[in-house]
Amino acid sequence: MNRPPDSDADAPPGLNTGGADADLCSRFVEFLPITGASISVFDETGNQSTICASDEMAARLEEMQFELGEGPHWEALHTGRPVMVPDLHSESLSSWPMFSEAVRHTGVGAVFAFPLTLGVVTIGVVDLYCSSPGNLSASALATAVNLAGSVTLPAARMAIRSADREDASTTVGTAPELRRDVHQATGMILVQMNVSATEAFLLLRAHAFSSGRTVQEIAQDVVARRLDFSVAAE
Amino acid sequence: MSEASRESRISAAFVKLADTLIADYDVVDLLDTLLVECTQILDTEAGGLMLVDAVGHLQVIASTSERADFVELMQLNAGAGPCIECFTTGKSVSIADIDEFGTQWPEFRTAALQKGFHSVHATPMRLRGEILGTMNLFSTRVGELNPRDAAVAQALADVATIGILQERSIRETGIVAEQLQRALDSRVLIEQAKGVLSQIASIDMDESFAMLRNYARTRNLSLRAVAEGVANRSLDIGTTHSAVPKPLV
Repeated sequence: MNRPPDSDADAPPGLNTGGADADLCSRFVEFLPITGASISVFDETGNQSTICASDEMAARLEEMQFELGEGPHWEALHTGRPVMVPDLHSESLSSWPMFSEAVRHTGVGAVFAFPLTLGVVTIGVVDLYCSSPGNLSASALATAVNLAGSVTLPAARMAIRSADREDASTTVGTAPELRRDVHQATGMILVQMNVSATEAFLLLRAHAFSSGRTVQEIAQDVVARRLDFSVAAE
Repeated sequence: MSEASRESRISAAFVKLADTLIADYDVVDLLDTLLVECTQILDTEAGGLMLVDAVGHLQVIASTSERADFVELMQLNAGAGPCIECFTTGKSVSIADIDEFGTQWPEFRTAALQKGFHSVHATPMRLRGEILGTMNLFSTRVGELNPRDAAVAQALADVATIGILQERSIRETGIVAEQLQRALDSRVLIEQAKGVLSQIASIDMDESFAMLRNYARTRNLSLRAVAEGVANRSLDIGTTHSAVPKPLV
């Protein structure tokens, strides 16, 4: 079990105890041979926002990619797959010319990006960097994928909670914003609007945000067929 | 159920598990099947399996009914009900008469009685002293499970736990969280796919689930793979009576 040594040893596996949301990035630095990590998620307006960064360089690398609109971060987001760049100074980074130019002056050796996915919805990305070049070993890669899985739900909850007017639920029951009807509504909206699941989930959240209601309330309306996005959009 | 047929049903459930351990299998499908077996063997009317997720919340991973009101009942159960008591104490919780003994969980009690359930038995899903979730069995009759039935329920819950974790791999640390994660993510994919089918074919969520499962079973595919294909629109599973067929991406 990959969990921080300071967490409650009696806690159920996968349970993120203690400071929880505050420092989702630290576990990547702790368990992987990397220098820094940052996590970003889509906010309710569809923009990327950083929820944590382990150091200034991690934050800077992510910001750089937001500004340039290219780089491993975006590729992980669009493909839903991990992106590995073990040597930033090699000449083979032609797919991201601006990013490779910008990163050349930072002294960073390698970057890795892992998507955070809920089913077929990508909710955000974990960006890792290493000050020296080098690939992740197979076991480090597996650990990274695992860790990315372990932060997906907390990251999704943080992102959605920022859009919902309701406060954080402290009960153990299923988080309302991630109940079944939210996933079902995502599936319905992606058909209604003929978009990807990731976009459908963003539309759902944007609608909740703009109407001042919770994601789950909107989802319930969609599932009950009281709300059809293809009609609402007209 | 006669004693003999009961014994054979119980061993059949274990054989089913043995099958899953040698082949590639689908965890949600397995849990669904086990849960249906369990409710029948123990002569109860409905059941739900809850698993803890990465933030410590209990999620419905399998249920004998996909109906929203039953899933909602399971969620109430996980918020304030026998399920969460079982999960936090690690001990099975038997409520012989929900009307009389369920007053400490008013919302759960009202919802359960409304659906005609009068007793409930929650069994912990355990692994080396850790609690991964609970198996909940509902009956329309009043009465506690007798100790033998409770032991059978625990054995079947243990089977379900092994089914999730795959005995071969649980020796490695770090794998448990991954397997739980994967099981829960399968469920998310299934819900997304149900939404897609429900919208395309104008059917309800129950029918959508049946459609997914039938498609997977008749073609010997995993439910997860079918759900993923439907949700990312790379797989059309025969909803051709859609008014405007969408192009496959």
